[in-house]
Amino acid sequence: MNYFTSLPARIKSWFRAATSRSHLESEMEAELAFHIESYTEDLIRRGLPPEEAGRRARIELGGIAVQKEEMRASLGLRLWDDLRADLRYAFRMLMKSPGFTAIAVGSLAMGIGANTAIFTIAKQLLMERLSVPHPEELRLFTWVGGDKVVVHSGWGDWDNLPGGLTTCSSFSYPVYQQLRSQNHSLSDLFAFKDISRVNATIDGHADVLQAEMVSGNYYQQLQVQPVLGRAIQPGDDAKPGSGAVALISYGLWQQRFGGSPSIIGKSITVNTVPFTIIGVNPQPFTGAQAVQRSPDIFLPFSMEPLVLARRKGSFLADDDFWWMQIMARVAPGTSEPVAQAALDTALNAAVRATMTVGKDDEIPRLALVDGSRGLNFAGKQFAQPVYVLISLTGLVLLLACANIANLLLARSAARQREMCVRLALGADRNRILRQVLVESLLLSSLGGVAGLLLGYFARNAIPHLLSNSWEPGPFVARFDWRVFAFTAAISIVTGLLFGVAPAWQATRTQVNSGLKDNALTATHRRKGFAGKAIVAFQVALSTLLVVGAFLFVRTLANLQAVDPGFRPERLLLFEIDPPESRYPAQKDVALYRQIEQKLATIPGVTAVTLSSEPLIANSMSNDHFLPVGQSVSIKKPTAFVNIVGSTFFETMAIPIVAGRGFAETDTETSLRVAVVNQALVRKYFPDTNPIGKTFTTGEKDPVVQIVGVSADAKYDSLRRDAPPTFYEPYRQRIRPMDMTYEVQTRMKPESIAAAARAVVQSIDKDLPLIDVRTQVQQIDETIQQERIFADLTAGFGILALTLASIGIYGITAYTVAQRTNEIGIRLALGAQARQILTMVLREASWLAVIGVAVGLGASLLLTRFLASMLFGLKPNDPATLIGSAALLFAVALLAGFIPARRASRVQPMQALRHE
Amino acid sequence: MSKQLDILQGTLDMLILKAVSLGPLHGYGVLLRIQQISGDQLEIQQGSLYPALYRLEHQGAIASEWGESENNRRAKYYRLTATGRAQLRSETEKWNRMSNVIAGILKTSPGEV
Repeated sequence: MNYFTSLPARIKSWFRAATSRSHLESEMEAELAFHIESYTEDLIRRGLPPEEAGRRARIELGGIAVQKEEMRASLGLRLWDDLRADLRYAFRMLMKSPGFTAIAVGSLAMGIGANTAIFTIAKQLLMERLSVPHPEELRLFTWVGGDKVVVHSGWGDWDNLPGGLTTCSSFSYPVYQQLRSQNHSLSDLFAFKDISRVNATIDGHADVLQAEMVSGNYYQQLQVQPVLGRAIQPGDDAKPGSGAVALISYGLWQQRFGGSPSIIGKSITVNTVPFTIIGVNPQPFTGAQAVQRSPDIFLPFSMEPLVLARRKGSFLADDDFWWMQIMARVAPGTSEPVAQAALDTALNAAVRATMTVGKDDEIPRLALVDGSRGLNFAGKQFAQPVYVLISLTGLVLLLACANIANLLLARSAARQREMCVRLALGADRNRILRQVLVESLLLSSLGGVAGLLLGYFARNAIPHLLSNSWEPGPFVARFDWRVFAFTAAISIVTGLLFGVAPAWQATRTQVNSGLKDNALTATHRRKGFAGKAIVAFQVALSTLLVVGAFLFVRTLANLQAVDPGFRPERLLLFEIDPPESRYPAQKDVALYRQIEQKLATIPGVTAVTLSSEPLIANSMSNDHFLPVGQSVSIKKPTAFVNIVGSTFFETMAIPIVAGRGFAETDTETSLRVAVVNQALVRKYFPDTNPIGKTFTTGEKDPVVQIVGVSADAKYDSLRRDAPPTFYEPYRQRIRPMDMTYEVQTRMKPESIAAAARAVVQSIDKDLPLIDVRTQVQQIDETIQQERIFADLTAGFGILALTLASIGIYGITAYTVAQRTNEIGIRLALGAQARQILTMVLREASWLAVIGVAVGLGASLLLTRFLASMLFGLKPNDPATLIGSAALLFAVALLAGFIPARRASRVQPMQALRHE
Repeated sequence: MSKQLDILQGTLDMLILKAVSLGPLHGYGVLLRIQQISGDQLEIQQGSLYPALYRLEHQGAIASEWGESENNRRAKYYRLTATGRAQLRSETEKWNRMSNVIAGILKTSPGEV
């Protein structure tokens, strides 16, 4: 009968048999009983005495149990039954040694869980593409230029390339229009710009939203359909000032409008301009800039003049300001070099047509780059930390695998005799292997399940890399089954390999010699080798992880010990961003002053000031610094600048070391004054008294007099020394700026946030407080990455130490057990307990020495890749290396000491009888 | 009583199919039927009968049903299915060809080669 044609019948029969098992058993018994009875009757009829007849009938049929066993085998139930028995046995074995099981499962779970979490995040940060059809066709326009490039002002990311070149993805609106009309090689060009924060009022509630401006053909070209309503169309973006329509993100729709379909046609005020909501984006769509999170609201470029309302005029008409991003799709089969060359020619023409190009000016060259991940900020920013994390978790997985290997090896050695006994009793070799296989598989699966849970919940712990406590980021790492499958497969294969290989070896030995095998045979020395190598490897891995942990923990400690130069406690920070359409020049200064005065009246507030740059917030602003009447030998005379309130130095507790700070008498109309810090004095006035000196920030800008010198305070980051900085009072400033208030309180600063909001809303109900946080939170946020690394690596380090000590303990205990007889003889022959102790410890310490040496060597090679992530110490910091080595060695000795002491306390007689 | 022949390897399935093709039988009945048809010349190892019956049922060549036996006892009756009928036909044909070939070979005399 053909094997395959009978397959359906056999499957059906198998299922029936497997599911109604008790029924099947009773049927078999009834059938066999009937057979025996009928045969007995026949035999009696032939003349046999009844008893003899019954006996013969039973003998001829053979044992009932054997018959049933073979009948079950006919139904294909044999394997199933064996498997169930194996599983039961495996469970019992694992339950019998809960310590072994817990360690094996726990370490596997850590390895699998950590890797699943990190890989999921890595994939999200580095590999995820825009959620549009065919993202691989998207090309982002960038330009490349040298020092003399004609583009001077813009908005976007400037990246340095090797050879002194700069690359940027920002273009001016007129250049975009010309490129678009001249393009014949790619699909229609479309443009977008994330203008970051806008003040939006929905249903009378002021809020801060992230906005993206898009060209009229943006949705067409990205091939994105709204889930509700319609998309922005070319007609909306037809002429500046028209098309007050907006699409909102799926997330905003759910959070603010509860997913209500009546949202279409609703009005939303953006920077005081009313817009009509016409549609909702699909859930996975995140705009064209980034993959991780979506802007909240999408507006046509035509509304830029009203929304941004710049005093200098609209960006759309600005020939010199490069600010927007351009993308296009490349059709399959298009030659990209040809397209790029054609567009480069078009760019050259467009620049010449729109800008004044001097003799020495250089026209940027166009370069098409992969646009499938948008601008890929995350990819650039997080590549290094993510790769470091991947390497670390990879080491942890390796360690977990080594641990499993070690445990299973030791276990199989201990079970050698059991296997020999089973072989001797007639067990099939495959049967024993299958049993070991089931046991390893069960162990690995338990680890896998625990790892799955860990990975699933831990994947959202790391995205803190991207967010902070006052800006709840909608970034959620999507759980990736493929990643989990991969890491789980590695661990399970390790479990199988190291579980089954020793069993394979064991079942090949002669039963006879296996049973006689004991502690006295020399073969153990060789058998123990694999175990020792694995333990040494574990120690080496642990050394590496402990060194990493020390480096990151000390980096964090060093950063936390940095003196910022001002007092960060009891300060509440928030930003105010008054739209220029409502607050033109001078009116905004009056607003700031009004808010400053009103905040000071809140009970519990002890001081109020404001600054254009919050401190230690990775935000900075610099300007030319040109001392008047003094030739400066510095090539690019610039300094950092902070526009501040009159009580800034007192509120922040930055000492004034010479001259005076600002006062209420420094008004809009009085003499223009500035305070400089000591770093600026060292750079520009090394040998003279700076008080009374004057400077300007540009040839056309007014002259400013230095009235005081402040102590150095950190500016944008704890990592960087205070840069040369000058401070100016905000009432005398010449350019509009958003200001951050610093409110000093008597109680917990967070507790006055509501009162502060009420104050601002009483002045203008459309003005939201932006980024409300304390100064301490602000500083913590800038060292969040370091904190995550310190936490994670410390966790990994402790895990590594634990696993290494278990490894050393295990191998030492095993050797001691194997050598009990020998130790007994030594003791009987007069060896001292101390000598035995030393003998056993020597072996453990050799493993530790080899492991630590290899680990330190690897550390020296690998830690230099961490250099840029460390602070206050070098990657090959001797104290860290020596400390890690000493710690590992101490832990190893301690782990070896317990079984060693047990060995030294052996009673000789007992040991000699021991077998 | 003349010496009984042991059943040839691999032919038990075929004989069972033949036996039940003549009408539904219980396990013991199959045994009796084969012995009866062979004129008591074939001896079937009772131990291998039931595993074979289960195997054939598992493959779908025979089907079973509980019924009354001739002595008014509950017994499991096997009958041939359509699949089993086809299997019996092809195996019979194969057996005939094989026995012809072997008989031919055994009949050969030195002069015929």
